[in-house]
Amino acid sequence: MQLWNHCECPYPFVSQEILDQADSVRASLPNMLCDPKIVATLYDEIFDEYRLCDDLGLHIVTNEHHAGINNLWAANPVITGVVARVTRKARILSLGTLVTVRPDPVRIAEEYATIDVLSRGRLEIGFVKSGATEMVNGDANPMRIREREWEAIDLIEKTLTTHDGPFSWEGKFFTHPFVNIWPRCWQSPRPDFWAATSDFPTCAELGRRGIVNTLLFGGYDRTRQAFDAYKRGRAEAGLAPPGEDRFSYMGFCYVGDTDEEAYRIGQKIPWFLTVSIKSAPQFSTFQPGAVAPEMAPKAWRRGAGSKRPTNLDVESLVRQGQMFAGNPDTVVKQIKEFRRRVGGLGSLIMMTRQGLVTHAEAEKSFELCAREVLPQLQDLEPLDEPAAPVEPWRAVATAAP
Amino acid sequence: MSAGITKGGASAAERHDGIAVAPGGLEILSRGQGRPILLIHGVNTISPKAPFLDGLARHGEIIAPSAPGFGHSPRPTDFDTMYDLVQLYREVLDGLPDKAIVIGFSFGGWIAAEIATAGSAKMHRLVLVDPVGIKIGGREERDIVHFFNTSPDELNRLSWHDPARRPQGTYGLGWQSAIDDAMPDDDLVVLARNWDALCLYAWRPHMYNPQLAHWLHRISVPTLVLWGASDRIVTPDYGRAWARRIPGARFELIEEAGHHPELEQPQAFVDRVARFVAGTS
Repeated sequence: MQLWNHCECPYPFVSQEILDQADSVRASLPNMLCDPKIVATLYDEIFDEYRLCDDLGLHIVTNEHHAGINNLWAANPVITGVVARVTRKARILSLGTLVTVRPDPVRIAEEYATIDVLSRGRLEIGFVKSGATEMVNGDANPMRIREREWEAIDLIEKTLTTHDGPFSWEGKFFTHPFVNIWPRCWQSPRPDFWAATSDFPTCAELGRRGIVNTLLFGGYDRTRQAFDAYKRGRAEAGLAPPGEDRFSYMGFCYVGDTDEEAYRIGQKIPWFLTVSIKSAPQFSTFQPGAVAPEMAPKAWRRGAGSKRPTNLDVESLVRQGQMFAGNPDTVVKQIKEFRRRVGGLGSLIMMTRQGLVTHAEAEKSFELCAREVLPQLQDLEPLDEPAAPVEPWRAVATAAP
Repeated sequence: MSAGITKGGASAAERHDGIAVAPGGLEILSRGQGRPILLIHGVNTISPKAPFLDGLARHGEIIAPSAPGFGHSPRPTDFDTMYDLVQLYREVLDGLPDKAIVIGFSFGGWIAAEIATAGSAKMHRLVLVDPVGIKIGGREERDIVHFFNTSPDELNRLSWHDPARRPQGTYGLGWQSAIDDAMPDDDLVVLARNWDALCLYAWRPHMYNPQLAHWLHRISVPTLVLWGASDRIVTPDYGRAWARRIPGARFELIEEAGHHPELEQPQAFVDRVARFVAGTS
């Protein structure tokens, strides 16, 4: 199993009084509340954490959100490019730049090819459907985003894998008459693709395409069902069963010397859910496309506005399979149990430097994780459900030019 | 793609409250007899409970289709632009037995103006009621309050002269603030469909065609621009700018009404339309 460090570069420095008064902590909070000097320090700390992970054998995930206290990686390809340059061994997953918001997938492919070369073949490309405040800040129509996402993925794939261009694209959402990027990507035929979703039909399509399916905080049952949908999608298409490396999960994670320490520090992480996702009803519940019309009576009668999650103490989150916390042996047990209950897991993406967790606390967790957790997750016994071999082109990727 | 309407909805199967489903699948509300009065709805479809319907139906046959994606009308694959809506309503007009009075409300006013600008032999008179659709101000001035990025409570406040007097069972902008447990499920499903469809057609540029203002001088039918005096979604000044660009257009305010004067002041709305049609006959 591979372990990944995912940090969203949060900004927990706006006073609670201001946050309480705001109807949304994303999209509309004025940037006068964001001090670039503090951000620069955050960037330094987090890039140092990435370097540490690189040394320790952990991999790195970057992502992108806009105009909020939850995430300062607004320009994902820029950040991912820097990660590529300051690390040497780690694989780097961009999860991802917002393909449903950005107007030109060819440009995105160009950025990714550049990063793949910069990193000498260590890039993995992740796709997210996005939505909510991202549509507002990016002025992107929130309707039909799933169809737009698939067309963007198709165009990015063709751009990365076509070497006798230029070729022309006249799609439903994107047109480009003259596609021919330089440099081409390092890996052949292209970096591995990932997508974050728990939507079952989408999981099935990921299965048919062999794209890594990652769930975000889905817990045991939803994750199991999503992975099953992936497997069924492949089986129904007559394709070989997927390798375990096709399944990934993102959860909160803190590894301490003791369970007590991990729970104490881990309790700083759910700030992500309790504070940083507060969103006004027009950016959430009532955004067009957010609720299927037939579900509107149920969704809207319960009351408008963001639903603030409950059960966010570490104990509950661990019980729900949304957090892994404890001393190294405790965490190993939790991860193994999770892998068993969801039917296989190739990658665990750990959200550790989140909320009010400090730089030093994050580095301590990474060190314990790499030295004491990771070794216990190698060469795991196969689960009862046999896993197919690794997708062939992933093996090719390691033999890059 | 076809409007599927050949004779004012007469070929359609009657459902309830004067609503029928045309062979092409479009839901159509019809009421009254005489010269066709084509209603092009705005944010929400024309409700059978709309308080102006009976009064207006005394002046002709109301034909009010729900556009694809709105109400209970299906939306064909790839029907997703203002261009599609304009062609569909042109087809509806062409299929009517007689020249029609066309009344467009808010977003529907934009559609009606597009049709009139392109020209239609079947358009007898044009009434625009608080239309969106054109860009007047500078690049840092918002002419039209953003429907989707504004809080529901604020939309509700800006859309009505007095939100408390919203007629029961009808919805305009800010409808989210009217949601309560007594609302029928079907109303909520339709509101969701309407909201989604509106967004699909008009998210960007938000609620206008940057070119339309340049071509309004092509409108050749007598035109009335009606405006709620208390409309703060698109202000009366925006309405006057509309009227100035349409040759011979008349601009009239309806007092104590916001973005939906036909709902807040139904009698005044009907009287203005009737007087305009009679005065220009």
